[in-house]
Amino acid sequence: MSDYLIGVLSNIGMIAFLALSAYVLLVTGSISFGQQAYFAISAYGSGIATAMWGWPLWLGMLWGAALAGLAAALVAVPTARLHGLYFAVATLAFAEMVRLLLQMLTWQIDVDGTLIGPMGSEGFREIRYIYAHDISAVQFMLLIYGLLGLVVGGLTLMERTRLGLALRMIGEDEIPAEALGVNVAACKIFAAALSGIIAGIGGALYAHLITYIEPALFNVMLGVHGLAYGLIGGLGTAVGPLLGVVLDIGFLESVRAFAGYRMIVFGGLVALLLIVRPRGLLDEVTVHRIVRRLIRSDHVAH
Amino acid sequence: MVDFLQNIVDGVMVGSGYALLGLGFTLIFGVMRRLNLSYGPSVMVGIFVGTWFHLRGAGLLAVIAATLAGTVLANVYVDRLCFWAVRQRSAITAVVSSFVIWMQLEEAVILVFPDRTYPFPRLTALEPIELGPIFFRAEYVTMFACVALLLAGVWLLVYRTRFGLALRAVAQDPVAARYMGIPLDWIGLGVAVMAALIGGLAGLLIAGTDQLVIPKFGLWATYKGLIAMMLGGMGSIPGAVCGGLLLGVAEIQFVWYLGAQFRDLAAYFLLFTFLVLRPGGLLGQAIVRRELAAFRRI
Repeated sequence: MSDYLIGVLSNIGMIAFLALSAYVLLVTGSISFGQQAYFAISAYGSGIATAMWGWPLWLGMLWGAALAGLAAALVAVPTARLHGLYFAVATLAFAEMVRLLLQMLTWQIDVDGTLIGPMGSEGFREIRYIYAHDISAVQFMLLIYGLLGLVVGGLTLMERTRLGLALRMIGEDEIPAEALGVNVAACKIFAAALSGIIAGIGGALYAHLITYIEPALFNVMLGVHGLAYGLIGGLGTAVGPLLGVVLDIGFLESVRAFAGYRMIVFGGLVALLLIVRPRGLLDEVTVHRIVRRLIRSDHVAH
Repeated sequence: MVDFLQNIVDGVMVGSGYALLGLGFTLIFGVMRRLNLSYGPSVMVGIFVGTWFHLRGAGLLAVIAATLAGTVLANVYVDRLCFWAVRQRSAITAVVSSFVIWMQLEEAVILVFPDRTYPFPRLTALEPIELGPIFFRAEYVTMFACVALLLAGVWLLVYRTRFGLALRAVAQDPVAARYMGIPLDWIGLGVAVMAALIGGLAGLLIAGTDQLVIPKFGLWATYKGLIAMMLGGMGSIPGAVCGGLLLGVAEIQFVWYLGAQFRDLAAYFLLFTFLVLRPGGLLGQAIVRRELAAFRRI
């Protein structure tokens, strides 16, 4: 595999976490413009853990994802009663506050003779864990896709449980869900924390792959792209957001003919797609049909 | 104390620009129940069209006309593609659609204008006015006066014309308005044009004060307008104005007492606190429930 292909695939994998985190909230009926905040919190948190404190990668990632999940849960408590646009703008305000605070964060310590740590808007250099431990690009890509597989599998299983049904019910309409005994507030906080953790895994992987992060990377563009991928790919299953990411990064970025015009082509295509399919390519109805067809052919085979 | 007063004066002047952007947002939201993320970028397209004429030696009036025309064209494009064509119930889809069109507009502008900054003509060449210890920058006074005039015009249009009556009817209940024979599509187009004219004027005044334009203006304008609208209460016209002024004053005070890096942080902090404690904003309690109905199913 060429380095370029590995790079593109790794990118798709990492951004997929962000899209999945937005998807978890979309299923619950909340639109977040702020998932980039949890991506950023975990990128910084895990970077600090491995590069400054010398923790192993798995522990650093766990720490980063836990921080992101905790932050998401804390934000969810006061915002749980907000709906639609109010929730979206509140998450946007939070994410921008995180970005601006990271711009002010300067904290460097001496590690083996060099100063390492976040330096305000200059960013955080030398998160060199995977180079220091001779982890190859292919190995790291496999790690990304392993974790991605776990998350997608976990989400798919979760959607088949009572909890998953409760989340979809809240997404349809909160009031009947509440009337049927679903603890709406608790479910929303759970969904937020889960989305924070998923974004956090992506952020930790991102920081270690590119070794250099700066607050400007985690602006609203990143978050809204994550949200858009879910809507392009479809809200029917956890595979939908992945499809959205693959379509954008995999297809458009790789086709060199679009270089320089990528956003014009992508923007136009997506706007047209959303007119025809407002809930994405793989929406609930399509997923239901596909599943039914699969089951039927299964019967025929027996 | 003089500093504090001076900050309030400056804040009100700066905030009047935000108030215009907030007004455009709130008009689109109040009537269409749609958040147009591409509103700021449409204004950005407009001022770049103005700059294009300015660079080719056109006079001030031509630049003003070009800016307004550019904004209207861009905003109508967004309106038709993202709001008119997307099904009524899919509110979030329309928001995301307007976001991808934002990306499209921004890239198109950067393709034509590859440099970082471009000049914009100065609108007035007056001296600053001094009243006792307080300074008034002439550009800001012009901006403030234009905003006050425009607000009076918008008020007349909304509350004293047939078009305004139709607008308010659609804002209250689109279905009932359609039964009364109000053409929803044309009202939507009218609102898009009206919001674009307001935004175009805001863009002119702000770019004329700074005397430069950058592609990031779109992001900036969307942020400021959105915050002004949310602070005041979504869909409320006086609310958007109050929200814009409050935002301006808060920003200037924070910059003065804490430092420039706190400008945006203060704005987002204010916004977040407002949303959590008083989601309806300063002047818009009733709209909350209406908005809930529009966004119930994404």
